[in-house]
Amino acid sequence: MLAPLLIWLLVFVLVPLGILAVFSFCERDEIGRVVFSFTWENYGRVFDATYLMVFARSIGYAALTTGLCVLLGFPVAWFVARCAPALRQRLLLLLMVPFWTSFLIRTYAWITILKSEGLLNSLLLGLGLVSAPLELLYTPFAVVVGLVYTYLPFMILPIYSSAEKVDGALIEAAYDLGCGPFRTFTEIILPLTKPGIYAGVLLVFVPAIGMFAVTDLLGGARVPMLGNVIQNQFFQARDWPFGAALGVVFTLLFAVAYWFLQRRGARPGSFA
Amino acid sequence: MIELRQISKRFGSAVAVDGISLHVRAGEFLTLLGPSGCGKTTLLRLIAGFETPDTGSVWLDGADVTATPPYRRNVNQVFQSYALFPHLSVRENIGFGLRMQGCAAPERERRVREAVALVEMEGYEDRRPDQLSGGQRQRVALARALAPQPRVLLLDEPLSALDAKLRQGMRLELKRLQRRLGLTFVFVTHDQDEALVLSDRIALVNRGRIEQLGTAADLYHRPATPFAAEFVGETNLLRATVVARDPAVARVRLADGLELTVPAAAVPAGVGAVLLSIRPEKICVSKQPLATANVFPARIAEEIFQGATDLLRLETGRGLVLRALVANESAMLEALHEGDRVWCGLHGDDIVVVPGE
Amino acid sequence: MKSIRRVLALASLAVCSVALSGADKELNLFAWSEYVPAKVIEGFTKETGIKVNYETFASGEEMLAKLLAGGAAYDLIQPPDYMAETMIKNGLLAPIDFSRVPNMANLAPEFLRLPHDPAQKFTVPYMAGTVGIVVNTERIKTPIMGYADVFQPRHKNRIVVVNDNRELITWALYVAGGQTNEINAASIAKARPILARWIPLIKVFDSDSPKTALLNGDCDLGIVWSGEAALLYNENKKFVYVLPVEGAHRFVDLMAIPKGAPNPAAATLFIDYVLRPEVSKLISDAFPYTNPNAAARKLLSAEQLANPASYPPGAPVLGAMRAIGKEAAQVDKLVTDLKSAR
Repeated sequence: MLAPLLIWLLVFVLVPLGILAVFSFCERDEIGRVVFSFTWENYGRVFDATYLMVFARSIGYAALTTGLCVLLGFPVAWFVARCAPALRQRLLLLLMVPFWTSFLIRTYAWITILKSEGLLNSLLLGLGLVSAPLELLYTPFAVVVGLVYTYLPFMILPIYSSAEKVDGALIEAAYDLGCGPFRTFTEIILPLTKPGIYAGVLLVFVPAIGMFAVTDLLGGARVPMLGNVIQNQFFQARDWPFGAALGVVFTLLFAVAYWFLQRRGARPGSFA
Repeated sequence: MIELRQISKRFGSAVAVDGISLHVRAGEFLTLLGPSGCGKTTLLRLIAGFETPDTGSVWLDGADVTATPPYRRNVNQVFQSYALFPHLSVRENIGFGLRMQGCAAPERERRVREAVALVEMEGYEDRRPDQLSGGQRQRVALARALAPQPRVLLLDEPLSALDAKLRQGMRLELKRLQRRLGLTFVFVTHDQDEALVLSDRIALVNRGRIEQLGTAADLYHRPATPFAAEFVGETNLLRATVVARDPAVARVRLADGLELTVPAAAVPAGVGAVLLSIRPEKICVSKQPLATANVFPARIAEEIFQGATDLLRLETGRGLVLRALVANESAMLEALHEGDRVWCGLHGDDIVVVPGE
Repeated sequence: MKSIRRVLALASLAVCSVALSGADKELNLFAWSEYVPAKVIEGFTKETGIKVNYETFASGEEMLAKLLAGGAAYDLIQPPDYMAETMIKNGLLAPIDFSRVPNMANLAPEFLRLPHDPAQKFTVPYMAGTVGIVVNTERIKTPIMGYADVFQPRHKNRIVVVNDNRELITWALYVAGGQTNEINAASIAKARPILARWIPLIKVFDSDSPKTALLNGDCDLGIVWSGEAALLYNENKKFVYVLPVEGAHRFVDLMAIPKGAPNPAAATLFIDYVLRPEVSKLISDAFPYTNPNAAARKLLSAEQLANPASYPPGAPVLGAMRAIGKEAAQVDKLVTDLKSAR
């Protein structure tokens, strides 16, 4: 029963990770091919100030994205979960529809909206709210918008799944016992939707760290994130071992984040 | 204590509560009894504050609370599904209301302990709700509602999920608890046996209106409407015409021609037709002629053994069918079988005239 | 003249039918994005019946990386000149059978025997170009002559450049006055302060389609490939192309056959096909870079030849980019560092 799963894990997870790990200790030759001679140099470079800065920035953006996704996603997920079942299905469908379009096309759509002569600026100018077009594209603002837009559904769906399971009677019980709406939220709703929130955080935070397409397209490739740097190593700089080392460190980061969240009770059925 | 004044509530096009006025006295155990969908749960929710009435007002302890949200009413509810907080322990559940009131930790611990003792759940304080049985959860729900010492306790069919034996036991415990604490209980149920056992007064609710409000005995012996007569207990409902009356007695004739004598006071003056309610246990059945005011022969068409009692279907031969309930005394064990010809007897007082036909 | 061409065409066809005896039903083409028009590919397939699988890359390094990764076996690749140099040195290219490429005669002599392939054995020029400055003269009224003029504080957040680290450091070295092909610790150190000043002024780094930012109005000037600049000029004459005074280089994109290609005959055929003047003209029509094919140039319109981005007026002195080895990593680090610092 377990055999297919193990084989899948081995072939698609362990072997690639193994290759990555091996490469991270290798060197490269003139032309950029991997040379199998052991060195710590790549890991040494990872902890260089430049790249630590890149890590920090990527984590910062990812954290901001995750935070915004929680703030925006939770009310949406809660509202949809408390709707009548028929309406719920339709709303969920609406949430999923963007997924049916290619990610790249959606990102380009944002360019059309945010650029100087784009839809948003035209609207603002037309309404007379601004006198000159706002510089929205190729800024950190555009990157965050792109990231939040891309990852919001990954936050909404797990929270929705948790929220749906919260018995309405519990909320009434809380009211009955003297809990106002705000306290009901913090005492009852939040603890009971925690598994959903944790799952959402995991689904958003880690991939957001490695996302490079959004920075390139909406950010003008001005500010390098981890994903951009790793991509560079494999293409422009042709330093695969270094790219592998960065990748390994990134994977370890993910493992740590996952372990941390597990301990705080991301498992279903356990409530902190 | 609780006063509902001309309350109406509709959901969409359906009218749940239709102009009800009700006064619940302090310290009484009042049951809202009625079939599913009659509006009794809506009434309870209106008292708790989970619904706001379309018209009318809700008064608690002399204050108008119609616009007050549930978390500011000094009323607590025991939910039908118990609604225990799954992420909190028994102790934390019970202490929840106290925490919301701002009760300090030592005081809170003391009162939680008291509540736990009240419902006899010592030793379970650190368990989670999913580690408790149905009956245990019900007690915790009760303790949680009582701990903050509300003036009124609302109970929404709290025993419906329990098995028969447990339900019987819990019924009596609830009654004793209410007496001991002296709180006002408003209890909702569709089980009329429960209502009869527990209540000081029963409000019989049907289609958003109160059909009758009175003690259990009132409802049982003097039903005010045909619905009341049929809903509470078993009965034989018969139409009859008044053929004669004098100051002492009146004679009424049933559809099949059988004539019965009832006290004149039971039949309102000037009325030609009445509806009679005869409880099955009031019909005396015997192989010998009986010395009651009303005697008539009948044949046992059906006999159903019910343990302590026998349920008989009696046919008079002229079309009248009556259901009778007789106690299974050892002497009678041999005596009654299907097909037997027997004598039926009825005291005049046991024939109840139901108003409102 | 026409008859000679016809003879040559027929000769190619003859060669074609001989070459195709039995083998080479498809061609795996690995080329720059926005560089090989669909018409050229379709025409080739229609004439020879060979199916073309066209894969693209956006930088020379990407091309090399994918080639070395060896995932797909490519038959015909388009390395830039400095990349071809490295590949030849490392024996990655197969020599071309020039007996099968009679249309070599169409190429202008200044594009032959280039520094990267002095024996002219392994590569054939495809298109050439420069990297220079484009100015939206409606928005910018002051004269822009070189890098120093571009990277002024008043142009902050109005500049787009190609996202190519090697290019960036080369420009910096032009300004610093060093040898642009000597990338080492010393030259990197010289370039650093210059780039440190420049990078915060740049709004967009885009190698795929730098003209977009200029057309959008998000940027007013930029340093882009000449082909992009030519397209902008064709779109609107307000976009003026300038070769920077501090120094500029010419790049030549080549066609080459990697060693071990499965369909070398088809690749050779394609090379000869592309060198036909009428086919080469199609490329120029779509991508107005500098066409090394003298015979094709004769077919171009006066307007096309007048495009200053495609055919820079005067006789500018243009350098060439040479291969750098491991230093590419250092260049990448420098730019990452400086981009991070903003």
